Parts: sequence; structure tokens; C-alpha cells
Amino acid sequence: MWRKFLCILLIISLTLLTGCWSRKELNDLALVMALGIDLDPGGYAVTVQVMNPGEAGNQKGGSSGGVPVVTYQAIGRTVPDALQRMLSMTPRMLYLAHIRVLVIGEALARRGVSDVLDFISRNHELRTDFFLLVAKESRASKILEIITPFEHIPANSLYSSILVSHKKWAATGKVTLQQFITELERGGSNPVMSGVQLNGDRQNGGSVNNVDTISPKTMIEHAGIAVFKKDKLVGWLDEPGSKTVNYVLDEVDSTVSNEHSPGGGLAGFIITRSDSNLDVRLDAQGKPEFTVRLNIEANLTTIQGKLNLNNPASIEDIQRNLEQDYDLSLTQNIREVQQKYGADIFGFGEALHRKYPRLWRTYRENWEDSFRTVKVKVRSKIVIQRIGSIIQPLKQEIEEK
Amino acid sequence: MTQLENAGSPQEKLPDSLSAFIEGIQVRLGTSTDIIYRFITLGPSSVVVVYIEGMADPQALMKAIHEDAGQFNEFSEPQPERCLKLLQDRTLSLGKVGGITNYTEVETELLAGNSVIYIDGSTHALSAGTEALKQRSVEDAVSQSVVRGPREGFTESLRENTALIRRRIQNPKLRIEQRKLGEQTQTNVAVMYIEGNADPEVLQELRRRLDAAKLDSVLESNYIEEMIQDQRYSPFPTVYNTERPDSAASALLEGRIAILVEGTPFILVVPALLVQFFQSSEDYYQRSDFATLVRMLRFFCFAIALLTPSFYIAITTFHQEMIPTTLLISLIGQREGIPFPAFLEAFIMEITFEILREAGIRLPKSIGQSVSIVGTLVIGQAAVDAGLVSAAMVIVVSITAIANFTLPAFNVGISVRMLRFVLMVIAASFGLFGIIIALIILGLHLCSLESMGIPYMTSFAPMRRQSQKDTFIRLSRRTMKKYFGQN
Repeated sequence: MWRKFLCILLIISLTLLTGCWSRKELNDLALVMALGIDLDPGGYAVTVQVMNPGEAGNQKGGSSGGVPVVTYQAIGRTVPDALQRMLSMTPRMLYLAHIRVLVIGEALARRGVSDVLDFISRNHELRTDFFLLVAKESRASKILEIITPFEHIPANSLYSSILVSHKKWAATGKVTLQQFITELERGGSNPVMSGVQLNGDRQNGGSVNNVDTISPKTMIEHAGIAVFKKDKLVGWLDEPGSKTVNYVLDEVDSTVSNEHSPGGGLAGFIITRSDSNLDVRLDAQGKPEFTVRLNIEANLTTIQGKLNLNNPASIEDIQRNLEQDYDLSLTQNIREVQQKYGADIFGFGEALHRKYPRLWRTYRENWEDSFRTVKVKVRSKIVIQRIGSIIQPLKQEIEEK
Repeated sequence: MTQLENAGSPQEKLPDSLSAFIEGIQVRLGTSTDIIYRFITLGPSSVVVVYIEGMADPQALMKAIHEDAGQFNEFSEPQPERCLKLLQDRTLSLGKVGGITNYTEVETELLAGNSVIYIDGSTHALSAGTEALKQRSVEDAVSQSVVRGPREGFTESLRENTALIRRRIQNPKLRIEQRKLGEQTQTNVAVMYIEGNADPEVLQELRRRLDAAKLDSVLESNYIEEMIQDQRYSPFPTVYNTERPDSAASALLEGRIAILVEGTPFILVVPALLVQFFQSSEDYYQRSDFATLVRMLRFFCFAIALLTPSFYIAITTFHQEMIPTTLLISLIGQREGIPFPAFLEAFIMEITFEILREAGIRLPKSIGQSVSIVGTLVIGQAAVDAGLVSAAMVIVVSITAIANFTLPAFNVGISVRMLRFVLMVIAASFGLFGIIIALIILGLHLCSLESMGIPYMTSFAPMRRQSQKDTFIRLSRRTMKKYFGQN
């Protein structure tokens, strides 16, 4: 009996005396919300945005008036080197698992991001669901030093604004580490990233005063899509260009669109559904031709002008106009990417590879040059489903009376 | 003094004189003041009526004797044997009257509350059933109350309890086997079953274990439970107990065997399966769809009560990456300034709750109320305000405690309470890996348990398709043609 008891006691003490390997209490952690990486003469300048627990996690609403996050910056020859050096300043262990965004300075992005991403994807602590961003014409550290309204934590604000704008506006890229690396390593396609930039007074964005006024002095805003050629940033796309990328990549959930109304003036639409399909065909010379097929459902949201909507034919007119416009502008935007950057961010090469694996071999080596000249067509099919709560445009009604 | 010397032998015959008879009783039962000797004369004979005050109610007996005393006057000389015969056949219109020839029987009858009548000169005596049924009336089952369904619960009287069951099952095949257990207490224990429904092998096994049980005393059914359970070292109960006659009846109909013990309203039911502890008799008195949902809720609550604190400890100290970011931010904010590690924090709160709970049971009802109010305030508000524990931990502990009370069987709730602490220690040392390993071991342990030779996890392992109609879910009575327990 005693022996048994002693045995049990020893086993219990085993669990208690050995200490708890890899145990870390919540209040030993400095929760890193965002990571910014810039180029520096000494290697990399790494900026971390760390949550200030007393302020951000306080349910009573941060009454002490402190800032919800703190940023630390350190320089190292590698990213982990810089992070390690940072520990001389931070009171707690940096915990990277909950990073919402990784911001890369434009200078670094232009030089190539693969060395940085190696560390990011090698580190077991990091999850892969955060978004990658490029700081347009700025250092990443600047982006992380802005206090944002609404969301206590700027990184959270960035994260959710990407989610919302991607879903409702479709001119931003929702690119996670996983996606970026997949595109990077795949032959016949190039990755993109979303861009952010500062808007307004750049000096005082880092103080709580920034959100003391109704219209914040400094805001972080999205800056279109950054085009990468392999791991190097080559240029930026404006809003229509960014939307085109999302249309072709079938990333559009919902967005808006304007079109000249057949009766004069403008008509506004909200796109409620968009499916894209990439078709590869060989022409007479055996050269690949690409057709992007779009199936779009839209609702009419406004008509600024006159149009007799009692007549179903006018809706068909609008649809036809829209389709033509889509075909034209998307083709143009794609051509711009083809000629200006020569980076196949649409994955045309990938589609060719899939359909004609043998032919692909002849293109593989110099796909980038072929991409510049390859023929791309856009064929869109647009259906207007609803025209809203009233039928005739107000202007039309006034005129008829 | 010959009587004294012979007193040791159990089958000792009764003497033929009144004084020797009384002396014999006094040797055996002592001169306890509650043993009453009523001397009366019936004609020429002296008669003594012996009973234990409080145990026996000899009023009816005395009345009958007095009313009939006249007929004994015709005897001119003492004729004890005839007298006794007359008493037995004519005078005593009582339920139970029997002849006694030795002292062992005298003892038994007296201790059972019967009266013993002895006539001077006779070599045997009469026992009359005067058992005083002074007992609690049938009241609500306190420990297993229901919203809909019969309210009555068992009482402390064995006879009353068997009657409560018989009244529900008027099946001629309902059998009661009675025996006395406990060297000193000589407690009546009844084994009830329905012949044909109960598995004869289980019945045989139960009889064997009851025979083998060497008990000094039996004051409650747990005395027997501990002797007959299959596995001594298990946190899980392998014998079911109930205070409700309806659930006992339903168990008998399912082919289980009930063990009733004199002096306690809690009867035992064997064999007991794990799922049984999750089923309330009310499940069968409510709509089947609702009963199904409630039953699933109980299984869910079982998991909550068992795992929440350990899960919380494991996740917040080892696996922070699994917490959604916004929740983590809030948790970190709450834990700011808490001096204890999460495990200690949880441990303190759980222990505090156990203290309050134990105190609540022991205290008189009126004080218990105020203690629980103070307790809630202390735990809920002051501890958080003082920065001793985080608000999230209070939520964890309270949801655990409340979930624990949804389990209809109190004893499986105890198992959960004990295992919760074990799991907390494991979670604090090994994180989620530890919890998973512990759960696997727990599963293996449950599968290895048996109740009266029947696997404890029956209807899961071994899997029984037919039983699934009434395990996690309860299908409508139409789909269940008969009770299928049968084990």
C-alpha cells in the first residue's frame, strides 16, 4: 500500500517538479500585432507594433489615456537578428503568432522580398493568415506609427479594412503569406500585394491626438495593387487596374461600377456576383490566345439622367453598354500590365501550362517575353437583376408631368 | 445459574418458568430500560408480554387480551399450552402470530418490534406482530426532482419502498428476495427483480457478492454498494442509485435488479451503465424531441464540467496561437496584473467554489442562502476587483460549476469534480497534448469497467444499434416496441 502510494506521489511530483516546458503565461507576452520590415544600410530595420495590454485590453475603455500600442524598432543583419536585439528594449517576450499584417517598405519590396519571407515562413510561431502589404512610397515603420480611429489597435484596423474593402470594393488585394508564396513559386504566374499609404499630416499621426478630432489628421489608406515580378516590386496599379486584376483572378465579391446611360447621364451599378473563367486556345499559328469570360450579376443603384425604364429594352441596352465597356476597359488594363510590367499576375502562363503542358515547355523559359505580346480577349456577360424600389428615374418622372 | 451458562448456545430452548424466561432475556438483551415486561394474569396463569418500547406498538395486542381475559377464568389450574393455543387461535386477531421455541427467535422478534407473549410453565412463546410503523410519510424525492412526473420518493422503510415499486408494477413475476446483512445491525436488504426480464447470470452474480459481503453494519445503501461494485479504484460509479420509485420501476422493467436497504430512501440498481447516469426519468415524461435535446445538452455539459478549466489553462499557457486575436487581446488585458499563473488562478477559484459548495450543504437552509450570496459576491466581484483573478476565470469556473449541476445523477457529478482537478494539473504541465492523452486514458478506463460483469460502456462499446434509440437521443415510444435493456 505504501509502495503504491509512494509511486503515485512520485509520478505526481514528476509533473510538478519538471517545470512546464514551453509554458508561457499571458502576462509574459508582448503581443505583436503588426510587423514592418524596411531596408537599412545595416541590413533590415524591423518595426513591431506591440499591444499595450493595460490600454488595449481594458474593458473600461482605456481611461488612462495611454496609447493602445507601442512600436519598437531595431536593426539587424537578418530579421530574427533584429527581433532578438529588440528584446533589449521590450519588457516582455515578443509573441509573433498573432500578427495581423506584415508591412514591407517599398524600397525593400523593390529589392526583393524572398529573403524576408523565408524567415516568416520558416518560423513555426507565425500563423499564415495575416495579410501582406507594401508601404507605397514610404517606409513600413511609418505605417505602423499611426493611431487609427474605431479600432483600438492600428494593425486590427488595417486588417479589417482590407477584409471589408476587398469584399465590397474589390480594388485591394487580400493576399496572405500562403497565397504569395504559392504564386511566387509557381511557374507562369507572378504575385501581387496590396499597397497602403499615409494620407494627411505625417508628423502627428503617432499621437492619440490624431483621433481626438472628428476627422483624423492622418489616415492609412489603400493604394492599389503592387505588381511583383517574381519577388521584386515592379510597379503599382491604379484603381481600375486593381479591379481588373481582381476580376480576372475571380476575387470580386461585390463592387460598384458606373456606365453611361443610353438616355444620357450616368448609371450606377453594384456588382453582386462575378465569376471569371480563363480559356486558352491556340490560333492558326499555334500561338496561345487567352479569353477571360466574366459572368456578372448587377443591380442598378442610380440613374443620373433620363431613361424610360418602363421599357424592358432600355435595360437590355444598359446591359449591352456595360458588357462592351467591361470588355474594352478590362482588355486595356490587362494590356497595360502586359506591356508596362511584363509580369503575369493573372496566371495566364499557369492556365496554358494546365491545358497544353507540352506546348508550355517551349514557353517556360521565356514566358515573360511572350506574355508581353500574347493576345488576350475579355468576354463579359452581364445581367441586371434588380432596379431598386422605384422604376422610372426621378428626372424622367418630372419631365412626364 | 444454569441458564447463564447455557446462554451462549444459539438454539437454546425456552425454560418453563416465567422468572427463568425473563432472566434469559436479560442475559441476552441486557437490562435496557426500553425493554418492557408487562405482567398480566389470565385466569390462573401468569403471563408476561415483552416488547421494546418505541419499536413495538402493543396497544392492539393488549386490548385484545384484556377483552378476551374472561374466557381464561374457566381454567381452574394453569394449563399453559392450552392457554397459548387459545390465545393464538382465538384472541389475537393480529396480522402476524407465530410460535417461538428458542431464545434466538425471541431476540429477533423483539428487535424487529414484535411482542413476545410467554405463559408461565410453557416451553414456548408466542410472537405477535406489533411492529410500530412510525415512519416518515412518502414525500418528494429531494435529490432527483422533476418538473413533470411522479413526485413521491422512497422512504426509510423497506416495506413501504417495496410497496411503492409493487404499486407501479403489478406483475406477478416481480420477485423480492430478502436477507439480513450486517453482523450487528441485522439490516433487512431486499433484492427485487422481474423474473424473465432480469438476466439470471447477473442475478446469480449479485447473490454471490451479497453472500460474500462481510459487513459489520449496514446503515445506508452505500455500505452495500462498496461491497458489490466491480472495481474499487475508479472515479466512476458502477452502481446506480435512485430515490425515485418510478425510475426504480423502469429499471426493473428494463431487466435491472434493485437492492433496497432498510433505513435509507436510496436504493441501488445494477447493472449500471455510463449512459444511465445521463438519463433522467423525466426524459420519458417529456416529448421525445425535447428529451433528446436535453439529453444531448447533458452530454455537452459533462464535457464542459470536465474540461473547461483545463482547456482554458492549456490554451492560455501553451497554445496562445489558437485563441482568436481579439479574444486574446481582451484576455491579456484581463490578466494584466494578476499575480498567479493561470493554473493557480483556476485552482484557487475551483477550491473556493468547492468550499462554498460544501459549506452550503452542511449549513442550515436559512444560513446557506446568505453564505451563497456572500460567496458569489466574494468570488464574482471582489476577487476580480482586487486583481486576484481575472474576470474570464470567474466565467470559466462558474460555467463549470453550473454545467456540473445539469447531470441528473449526483454521483457521476462527483466523478467529474474529481477528474476536473486531475485534468487541470495535467493541462498545466503538458497543455493540450496532456489533455488528449488523459482523455484517451479515461476512455480506455471507461471501456475496461464492468458493472456486474456487464461492460460499463454498453451501447457504445460494445456498440448496440438497437440501444441507440435511447442513448444519445430518445426516440418516440412508438418506435420502441418494448423495453430493450435486457442487458
